[in-house]
Amino acid sequence: MEDYAVQFSHISMEFPGVLANDDISLDIRKGEVFALVGENGAGKSTLMNILYGILEPTDGEVIVEGKKIETFTPKEAIARGIGMVHQHFMLVPSFTVAQNIVMSKEPKKLGFLFDNHAAEKRTQDLVDTYGLHVDPKAVVQEISVGLQQRVEILKTLYRGARILILDEPTAVLTPQETDELFDVIRKVVREQGLTVIIITHKLYEVMAISDRVGVMRKGKLVGVKNTCDTDERDLASMMVGRPVLYDDLHKTDHVGEQRIAVEHLTVTDNRGLIAVDNLSLSVHAGEILGIAAIEGNGQSELIEAITGMRKPESGSIRIMGKEVAGLAPDKIRAIGLSHIPEDRISTGISAPASVTDNLMVGKHDDKEFNLFGFHQRRSTIERYAKEIYDKFDIRGAGPDVAVGSMSGGNMQKVVVAREFSFDTPVLIIAQPTRGVDVGAIEFIHKAIIDRRNEGAAILLCSADLDEVFRLSDRIITLYEGKVTGSFRAGEITKEEIGYYMTGDRTEKEAQA
Amino acid sequence: MKEKTSLLIRFRYLLSLVVSVLLAFGIGAIILAASGFDPIRAYGAMLSGAFDSWRHVGDFLEYAMVLCICGLACVLGARVGIFNVGGEGQLLLGAIFACQIGIWLNGISAWIVIPLAALGAMAVGAAYAFIPGFLKVKVQVNEVITTIMLNTIAAFLCQYLAKGPWKNANKNLVAATESLNANYWFGKLIPRSNLTTAVFAAAIIAFLVWYVMEKTSKGFEMKITGQNPRFAFFSGIKTDRIVLVCMLISGAMCGLVGMFRVYGVEHLYKSSISNDYYFEAIMVAMIASYQPVAVILLSLFFAVLKIGAQGMELIGIPSQIYLILQTVIIFFMAAESGITASVEAILQRRRARLAARKRQEEAAV
Repeated sequence: MEDYAVQFSHISMEFPGVLANDDISLDIRKGEVFALVGENGAGKSTLMNILYGILEPTDGEVIVEGKKIETFTPKEAIARGIGMVHQHFMLVPSFTVAQNIVMSKEPKKLGFLFDNHAAEKRTQDLVDTYGLHVDPKAVVQEISVGLQQRVEILKTLYRGARILILDEPTAVLTPQETDELFDVIRKVVREQGLTVIIITHKLYEVMAISDRVGVMRKGKLVGVKNTCDTDERDLASMMVGRPVLYDDLHKTDHVGEQRIAVEHLTVTDNRGLIAVDNLSLSVHAGEILGIAAIEGNGQSELIEAITGMRKPESGSIRIMGKEVAGLAPDKIRAIGLSHIPEDRISTGISAPASVTDNLMVGKHDDKEFNLFGFHQRRSTIERYAKEIYDKFDIRGAGPDVAVGSMSGGNMQKVVVAREFSFDTPVLIIAQPTRGVDVGAIEFIHKAIIDRRNEGAAILLCSADLDEVFRLSDRIITLYEGKVTGSFRAGEITKEEIGYYMTGDRTEKEAQA
Repeated sequence: MKEKTSLLIRFRYLLSLVVSVLLAFGIGAIILAASGFDPIRAYGAMLSGAFDSWRHVGDFLEYAMVLCICGLACVLGARVGIFNVGGEGQLLLGAIFACQIGIWLNGISAWIVIPLAALGAMAVGAAYAFIPGFLKVKVQVNEVITTIMLNTIAAFLCQYLAKGPWKNANKNLVAATESLNANYWFGKLIPRSNLTTAVFAAAIIAFLVWYVMEKTSKGFEMKITGQNPRFAFFSGIKTDRIVLVCMLISGAMCGLVGMFRVYGVEHLYKSSISNDYYFEAIMVAMIASYQPVAVILLSLFFAVLKIGAQGMELIGIPSQIYLILQTVIIFFMAAESGITASVEAILQRRRARLAARKRQEEAAV
């Protein structure tokens, strides 16, 4: 009999109207790296939330290290040696590494005083044991995202985790940091015998790190394979349920007239610190300029300044030849710009409004939707929205439901559908596929390329380097608000570009 | 699908409203009984207090009109995300200026004076709402705080005007302006009641507010702005302007209600022109969860309670029971989402358990 870390036996989880997990039986071996992949809404997170005790399954049982779980609470899960690192870190930014790690099980002096010295010592012991190097005295907000993630992992280890769940751990990392993370995973598995379950969207990472992989689709476990017996194309097809085109996209050198021209732009962030520093770039008709940068290097502020969401301090922004620096979005959109914002929930949609209403915003004043210019023609609006809904293959309970109740991928499709329906000559696209599943990514990428081929000028910004490489005709790297490199597609590799993103290398010729 | 969901939401709202009202009457009955009154007799007196004569019917219709227009003024702000708590001040200022316009222009045709007084009241109400609206839009000053403070300022300013420069000649009447020429009084629809022709103007306003909010593209912009101002701004909606304009209209509506009170009921300005009527209207708007149609219907309901409560006074029961009922209803409506959520969670768990058992039984067979 094999030694299992976790056994799921006929797990079903029903939410009102949705069977998120449908009779899933899965055994995870001790000491393996198990990758769990699937489209958004496939039920991966639900299954992991059951394991971590956040959800109680409707049916079935979970056996951890041979013992059945009776009460589903995170406290119980932690006591049973399960640790979870969420996609969004749960750290106190102003505390030190050591303070974050010992939190909830703090060493005490005199029975009630926090013993910082002991905390640091214990953290150091932990660091030494596992070889995950990080300074216990460093303040969390001052260390890189990669290190913060390491702190999260150490935190779970401190609480005695033997089974580690990592939810989309590489979403926020550079390629170098990803490699380091994978080294860490291999190390803890090999040397400490930990079991690691990793949830991811990136199939090449599955190939790189996992021993076995489970694919979920629509709540069902559709297959478990040894990683060495499969490949990315195979996995993608299993996830989507049909063959997925994974061809390289055609790049273009054909460039039309200049449509976005940014010169000597300086923008400050919310704290008043310089985020974009005397930056210049230009985007021409029929090309996609991709921005490769680690989060927090000024790309968000740059895009907000171009689209009118943030007033720049100085410099010039010209869209279609018109100066727009400091104008409000309504004026800039009128010139011919549409914008897919990086944060769809706070900026891209109105969650309580219906899909129909969300698709209408921006078009709601158009003649065809209004009688006498003010009375809304609801039936025309609903017909139009239904058309867009079908055209963009939005999946949900129809265009009348609140957007806030939809999955992230469908929400993003609503944003993309609306912004693309304006048919503007300039597109600003930020994080078009963040948290979106493979099928939808394919769709959105194709839509972006189609717009480029129709002659739109597109500025693309994504934390997903693969996406930047896949779509861009030119790529610039940003580091601390400055352009550190500018490349044509194919001139540079993902590994190399990492050095420009971290400011280790810069090009003298940094004029994009 | 669509019909089903919206019906369900409406049904759910209605259900919680009915339950809240019944609970409120239940608790009111307990309080009445504990204070030594017979609850059934008290509620009977309340009902007859509102419906025993045409005069009382007219009175509660007039009060419903006040609640309805003020409530809609509140809804108008809430729809775009600005909470106008300053309606009371806007109402008082509208009332005193409208009154004074009638006194200054005494002798001129009513066809000129009444429209001018209405416009004046609206302008004053709007101007007074402009201050918090502008501060909110330009420098993000919390409008709740500014409007509350401006209420006090307005009340004292009116008090000063009514006791000082605009005081009437009658020494015995303190803190009141001169009386309006009877030519300018609104015609009574029911003799000896407070109900006047102003109710027609109010009905038109209520219709317009509902129409603009629910049926037009501007109303659509308002809704989106209130739901997610950042998204609205991002999408090219002129959010600052929309918020400010709604605040101004809200203020104008409150000012106009002040004018209705003067020209319809009191025929002069005194501070009792409004006894925190706007605050009661805010309660109505809240209970109506800011839905215009619900505001109109609930205004009638609360007006019946209020006028009916005066009937209770006649048999020696304090009319404050009305306030208790109102507060308890609000309390339960506010708790509604929490209560329904927990009921749903319990039902969900039971369903899940039943489903699991069924599946096990099937597996056994």
